[in-house]
Amino acid sequence: MHQLRRPLRRPALWLLIVAVGVMFLTACSGQIANTNWAGLSTDGSRVYLAFGPRVLAYDPETQTQDWIFPAESGAVQFFSAPSAEEGQVIFGDYGRAGGFLSPRVTVSIYALENVDSGIPTELWINSTSATDRIVAPPLQVEDKVFVGTADNHILALNTNDGSEIWDYETDHAIWGQPSYRDGTLYVNSMDWSTYALNADTGELIWQTPLGGALASRPVLGEDLLYVSSFDGNVHALDIASGEVQWSAPASDWVWGASALADGVVYYSDIQGNIHAADAETGDQLWTKSTGNRIQTAPVVVGDTLYIGSQIEGDTLSGTLTAYSTADGTQKWSQPTAAPLLATPVVVGEDTIVVGLQNADTLLIGFDLATGQELWRYSLPESGN
Amino acid sequence: MWETLIVNPMINALLFFYDVLGNNFILAIAVFTVVIRLITLPLNMRQQRSMMRTQEIQPQIQAIQKKYRDNPQKMQEEFRKIGYNPADTLTGCLPTLIQFPILIGLYQAIIIVLGSTPQSLFELVPRVYPAIDLTPLIPVGNKFLWMNLSQPDPYFVLPIVVFASMFIQQKLLTPAPKGQDQKDNPTAAMTQSMQYTMPLMFGFFSLQFPAGLSIYFIMANIIGIFQGLYMRRITDREKAERAAKGGTTPYVIDAGDEKVGKSASSKSNQSANGSGTTKSKSSSSSQSTAKRKKRSAKR
Repeated sequence: MHQLRRPLRRPALWLLIVAVGVMFLTACSGQIANTNWAGLSTDGSRVYLAFGPRVLAYDPETQTQDWIFPAESGAVQFFSAPSAEEGQVIFGDYGRAGGFLSPRVTVSIYALENVDSGIPTELWINSTSATDRIVAPPLQVEDKVFVGTADNHILALNTNDGSEIWDYETDHAIWGQPSYRDGTLYVNSMDWSTYALNADTGELIWQTPLGGALASRPVLGEDLLYVSSFDGNVHALDIASGEVQWSAPASDWVWGASALADGVVYYSDIQGNIHAADAETGDQLWTKSTGNRIQTAPVVVGDTLYIGSQIEGDTLSGTLTAYSTADGTQKWSQPTAAPLLATPVVVGEDTIVVGLQNADTLLIGFDLATGQELWRYSLPESGN
Repeated sequence: MWETLIVNPMINALLFFYDVLGNNFILAIAVFTVVIRLITLPLNMRQQRSMMRTQEIQPQIQAIQKKYRDNPQKMQEEFRKIGYNPADTLTGCLPTLIQFPILIGLYQAIIIVLGSTPQSLFELVPRVYPAIDLTPLIPVGNKFLWMNLSQPDPYFVLPIVVFASMFIQQKLLTPAPKGQDQKDNPTAAMTQSMQYTMPLMFGFFSLQFPAGLSIYFIMANIIGIFQGLYMRRITDREKAERAAKGGTTPYVIDAGDEKVGKSASSKSNQSANGSGTTKSKSSSSSQSTAKRKKRSAKR
C-alpha cells in the first residue's frame, strides 16, 4: 500500500474531516427532521396506526392485523393518524426526498381501500397539493376530505379521485385535525388563530386570534367551540361569531384537545395537570397533578377519564392512567415501555388501546374498567 | 453531554436572539453566526496567517524538502531557520475541527427550534432555560421569502449562493501559486483543487439540509470574505515591511540544483542583511555536506 506523501497529508486530512462531518450531519438529518410519535385512530372497531415507515389496520376483536401499507418499509414516513370512512382510509406522509441532487420534497396524500386482509389497493394518491409534512389527521365528510398541512394550508380534496377542491392558507402549520358541523369547517393553526371556513368553498367566515399556538383540534360543543392553546388556557369560542366567551386557565401549555362530557370540559397541560371546568362558564371544578408530561387529549368514557403520558425525566417510558371524572381520583394506572404521546382510542365496549412507537410493541389493549392488559401487538418480523 | 454543552446552549442562544430581534429567525441566525465567528476569530486568524505565510515561503520549503529528503533532522533545522513549523499544519486544522461540532450542533438546534414536527417542539420545551419565555416565541417563523427554513430551498438559489460565497472565501484564503508551483508542488495543486471541492461539497449540503443552515453557511462565508480581505491587507503590509527591512530570506541550494528564493536583487539585499548572511553560511555548509554525500555514494 502506498504511503501518502507528506505534502498531501494536510489536504487529505481536511477532506477526511469534511467527509466525517458530512456523515455526522447526514446521520442527524433523518432522526430529527422527520420523526414524530405514532398517529392512532379508530372507526370504532378497527384500530389504525401510522408508526413511521408503515401504516396498519388491526382488529382487536380477532387480534389480527388486517392490512399493512406499504408492503415493504421505504424511506417515506407516516405519522398522521389515518381517517377511515366509507370503506376508504386516508392519510398523508412526511415527504419523499427528491433524490441525490434535488432539494425538492414530494409530499403525498393517500386513499386506500379499507380491505379485510392483504395489501390495500391504492385508490388515489395526491402528490401535488401539499409541499410540507402532513401532521394533522385528515377529516372525511361526505365526498370531501379536509387535510391540514405543515406548509400552512388546509386543503379540501375530492374523496373520489383526490383532486383539489379548494385551498386556504393560514400563517403557520396546521397540526390538529379540523372539526366540521353544518357546512362549516373549524381549523386551529399554529399561527395562534382559529378559523371558521365555508366547507364547500373554503371562504373565511371568521378568524379569532388567541394568545398562543394551537396544536390540536377544536372541540365542538352545543354553542361553543373549545380550543386548547399554548397560552395556558382552554378558550371557549362562540361557534357562530368566533368571539371568546371564557378562558379556563391551566398551569402550562395546553397541547391536547379537550374532552367534553356531561357539561364538563376536561383538559390537561404539559406539566401534567388535569383540569375539569364547567363547559358553560369555564369555572374550575377540580385539578389533579399527575407528575408526568402530558400532551395527549383526555378520553372520557362514562365516569372515567383516561390519559396517556410520558414519565417525567424518562423519555423511554409512559403510563396510561384512569381517573374518576367526579374528582380526579386515580382508579388504575398501567406503565408502558414507551412514552404515550398519541391520544388513546376506545374500541368496542370494553377496550382502550394505546399506540407506541416501539419495535417490540406497537399496540396494547387494556380493559377499560380494570386496566388489565388484554392483548398486545407487534409486527411479526420483530420476533415478538 | 453533547446536548447539555453544545445543542442546548445553541438552542437558547438562537431563541434569545429570535426574541430580541423582533421574532426574525434569519436575523437570529445572522447574529448567532457573527457571535460564533467572533469566538473562533483568534483561531481563524492564526490559521489564515499561517496558511498565507506557508504559501509565501513554499519555494523554500520545497527546496529544503527536496534537498534533505534523507535527513529529517537537518530538514527540521532548516525549516526552523526560515521560520516554518510543520506542526502548524495541525494547529491550522483546529478551527476546522472546532467548526464541525458547531455545524452539527447548529444543525440540530435549527431543526429543534423550528419545531417542524410536534415531537421536535415537545423535545424543545425541557431544553429551554427558565429565563426564556417560550410561549410568545412559538411557533418560530419558518418562512423567509419563498423558503421554508426547515426544508431545503427548492429553487437551488441557496445552494448556488453557498457555493459562490464559499468559492470567493477560499480564493481569498489561498492565493494563486505561480505556474511552476502547480506542476512541482502537489500541495499547491491540492489546495487549488480544494478551492472547488469545498464549495461544491457545501453547495451539495445545501441541497439536502434545511434552508436555515444554508443561511448560516452564507453568513459565515460573507464574514469569512471580509476576514480574508482584512488578513490579505495585513499580510501584504507585513510583506512590504519585510521587503523594506531586507526581504524574505532566500534559501539557496547548490549550483547544480534549481535556485530558489528571491532573484538577484534579493541576493544583494541578503549581503546587506546580517541574518541573510548567516543563512547563506548555513546553506553553503549544507551544500558541502550534500557534495560529500554524493562523492561517497559514487565510491
